[in-house]
Amino acid sequence: MSAVAKLESRSAQEVRRVALSVAGWGLCALALLGVIFPLLDIVGVVAGHGIAALSFELFTQTTTGPANGLANAIEGTFVITLFAMLIAVPVGVGAGIHLSEYGKNRLGSAIRFMSDTLTGTPSIVLGYFSYIVFITALGWGFSLLAAAITIAILIIPYLARITELALQQVPNPMREAAYALGATDGVVVFKVVLPAASGAVITGGLLGLAISVGETAPLIYTAGWSDQMWTGRFTQSPLAYLTYVIWTFINQPDEHSHQLAYAAAFLVMLVVLAINVGVRLMVKRTKFS
Amino acid sequence: MTIRPFRLLVLCISLLIPAALCAVVLFLAGYAGQAISFNGLHFLWDETWNLGDLYSDPVTVNGYTLPMGAEYGVLAFIVGTLSSSGLAILIAVPLSVGAAIFLAEAVPVLESRARQKLSWLPPIRPVLAMLVELVAVVPSVVFGLWGIAVLVPFIGHYISPTGNGYGLLATAIVLALMITPIIASTLYDALLQVPKENRESAFALGSTHFEVVSKAMMPMVRSTLAGGIVLALGRALGETMAVLMVSGGGLNMLPTSLFSPISTIASFIVSQLDSAESDPTSMSVKALAEIAFVLFVITLAVNIAAKLLSSGALNVRSRKA
Amino acid sequence: MKLTKLLRNGAAALAIATAAGFAAPAHAATVSLVETGSSLLYPLFNLWVASYTTAHTDVSITTTSTGSGAGIAQSIQGLVQIGASDAYLSDAIVKAHPDMMSIPLGISSQMINYNLPGITNLRLSGPVLAGIYTGKITNWNDPAIAALNPGVTLPNHVIVPIHRIDGSGDTFIFSQYLAFSDANWASTEHFGTSISWPAVTGGIGANGNPGMVTALKNNPYGIAYIGISFADQVKAANLGEAELLNKAGKFVLPTAKTISAAAQSVASTTPADERISMVFAPGADAYPIVNYEYAIVKADQPDAATAKAIREFLSWCVQGGNVPTYLDKVHFMALPDAVKTLSVAQINKIK
Repeated sequence: MSAVAKLESRSAQEVRRVALSVAGWGLCALALLGVIFPLLDIVGVVAGHGIAALSFELFTQTTTGPANGLANAIEGTFVITLFAMLIAVPVGVGAGIHLSEYGKNRLGSAIRFMSDTLTGTPSIVLGYFSYIVFITALGWGFSLLAAAITIAILIIPYLARITELALQQVPNPMREAAYALGATDGVVVFKVVLPAASGAVITGGLLGLAISVGETAPLIYTAGWSDQMWTGRFTQSPLAYLTYVIWTFINQPDEHSHQLAYAAAFLVMLVVLAINVGVRLMVKRTKFS
Repeated sequence: MTIRPFRLLVLCISLLIPAALCAVVLFLAGYAGQAISFNGLHFLWDETWNLGDLYSDPVTVNGYTLPMGAEYGVLAFIVGTLSSSGLAILIAVPLSVGAAIFLAEAVPVLESRARQKLSWLPPIRPVLAMLVELVAVVPSVVFGLWGIAVLVPFIGHYISPTGNGYGLLATAIVLALMITPIIASTLYDALLQVPKENRESAFALGSTHFEVVSKAMMPMVRSTLAGGIVLALGRALGETMAVLMVSGGGLNMLPTSLFSPISTIASFIVSQLDSAESDPTSMSVKALAEIAFVLFVITLAVNIAAKLLSSGALNVRSRKA
Repeated sequence: MKLTKLLRNGAAALAIATAAGFAAPAHAATVSLVETGSSLLYPLFNLWVASYTTAHTDVSITTTSTGSGAGIAQSIQGLVQIGASDAYLSDAIVKAHPDMMSIPLGISSQMINYNLPGITNLRLSGPVLAGIYTGKITNWNDPAIAALNPGVTLPNHVIVPIHRIDGSGDTFIFSQYLAFSDANWASTEHFGTSISWPAVTGGIGANGNPGMVTALKNNPYGIAYIGISFADQVKAANLGEAELLNKAGKFVLPTAKTISAAAQSVASTTPADERISMVFAPGADAYPIVNYEYAIVKADQPDAATAKAIREFLSWCVQGGNVPTYLDKVHFMALPDAVKTLSVAQINKIK
């Protein structure tokens, strides 16, 4: 194994092989650095500028033009995410239950395929669809409902997939035992299968939440933007959100706008990374993708 | 056959997914209908996108009402999309292959050696693997922010001959970083699943560790790797925000160098919708819906390819194991 | 499964908290208006709104910077109440939506800025700019540029023309300057908020006026057209401002004198619907790229309270707000009195 030990007693050709091998490892190490370094740099840049821009007013004041706080955007992101999850969780988990428990047939495969296709659909295509349908055709205007539905469509396939994978891990004898005791379908799923897989399902929900917090493209033409807090209305009332601040304010030429953009980026990164790190520590190395 | 209400309920719920997909496809295609029949196939190989003169009276061409001089060609955006994604793959593949190999094979060796001296050492590999995966969850708009703040000035100062950092190269690098974890973690998982016997027999033949990896293990995971690459391509093609922020928004021309400004289909939709909306004939909004539809078809094809490749990979692996 | 329970309860609590508490900060009695559009008007609206809403607490107004295209489109669709635009509505739009009005709120102008190390006194003309933006003039030491700038040592470097990619009133007035002063541009390109920019190697697209400043700052040897309200940022970034050739054959910078010269020459001919261009106006001292900044508003509002709020706010903008206290900060000029009267007449149609 040790390259040095081998070097001592080998011919010139051997030496070349070992040298090649050392070079190969070197390149691989560089590649790993090349992947991880930008992440660290992004975190460093965002945290460096973002923390410097944090202040109490950020959380208490609303945005006025490109100035003051981010309270409206923080609340908007929270509300959009909450309602997106309220739509997405029942649908995603329900679909996952169907696919795992009763979906071992052609219909199941067809749904699975459509679900994967939806996962692969660029989020801007979904945003454009929502703009045409909800904003203009149905006349909802920029609104919470349009934004939440769009984000929900984005997360549902993920949730369905993760739920399905999680439920499949539950051993069949558990289901059989429950059925033998006379349990109905619903009881088997909710009292036996889902509890056994709940950790993984919650994980899925959290990952969906992280996606929702970080999305921008599908919100630009559905949520709009507002300097005020959420009015409590579901339609006809635009909403602020954090990622909007990042992409518009970084293009403003003054320093204060940049600070707000970095502060928003820092908050978004904090939530997204905390959820993802937390989930990965909680459930050791499970693949969700 | 009795009706089982619970099963029916979850079936109905799961049918919402195909329903949503069909709604997206049908609405886009339906809304774009007039544009599709007006543009014909020219749409795909015409380089010029021109909303026309929105300040003169609309004219009627072949029975369609549209602004004077309007012309809808998306070749430049298709080329912009494919070239930036293709270049991103070229950058991302060696990076992620190297990273995955190092993580799967070298890190455990280094780690156990280090632990002999420093027994308190926490596990390193899971942390590194997690860092790689975390790259994938950084929101697109944050990549764009980093692109504007760090990458674009860097390219402008040190690499670009014209001093312009926005363009194809910046887009490709940002995209590459975004998709690297997809390829790397796919490959990493595949490498961990290579049966012990295969590795050990290669060692027994006197191979160096690197040769074991490059000559015995990599060929076994080749098709999984290909599946991961195509999946990553699908993601790159649809990226919007980061691209919009660093691509330079080129119009009406094909990229001629690494520093040419480009637009991708996805970024163009975001930047043009507002202008298109002020077209009183609404032909431009329909043409944009047509672009969105084209993007959907391209990503669909790529995702199907990824699926075929990775299902093929599973068969190969199960036969060998 | 303690965690499950915890999360479930947590989610329920959050949902209740949201439903109950989060909607509260919005006062029930206020009318909320949204303004979107021109990134040139955006800084001015921010000043106006801040001041107006402290005095009128029953109205809340959100300002957003998108682009004049968005301002026009979204106000027509009723997505926003006030669209801000550097461009007036086209005949076709007015024909399709007869209740849409273009109401001037102020007078603005546009700078042609450049990033040329060591050069601060560049002179340009419409035909030369047209040449640059069509790719016929590609180098800074081109004879056509040199002819306008005797005594200036122009660098031997490729020009990086920067244009807007979003629908923009700045593009509108810039392309009008090219179309009105260069026959070639008029015949091949047209003017509008969105131009199909001719393929120019290295030409860059940027988003909004802020994006133009940032892109020009990042691109030595670049040239860009930027709204006058960004003059301070342009100065802070050390970018040059070009003297432009006007209709009378004189090179002028955008100053209070040259801008009002242009405004005065058009004030008397402004029609009742106020849709008129001030670009390339006659007058010895007139700066060639000057324009009315418009509010694009629907005359028929869905309810009386909204209509009243819009009416009162806009009336204040063209009267009490049309003073140097606000306008000077963004280098705008007040409307001539005759035009104010026309604007007020239009504002009174909002019902």
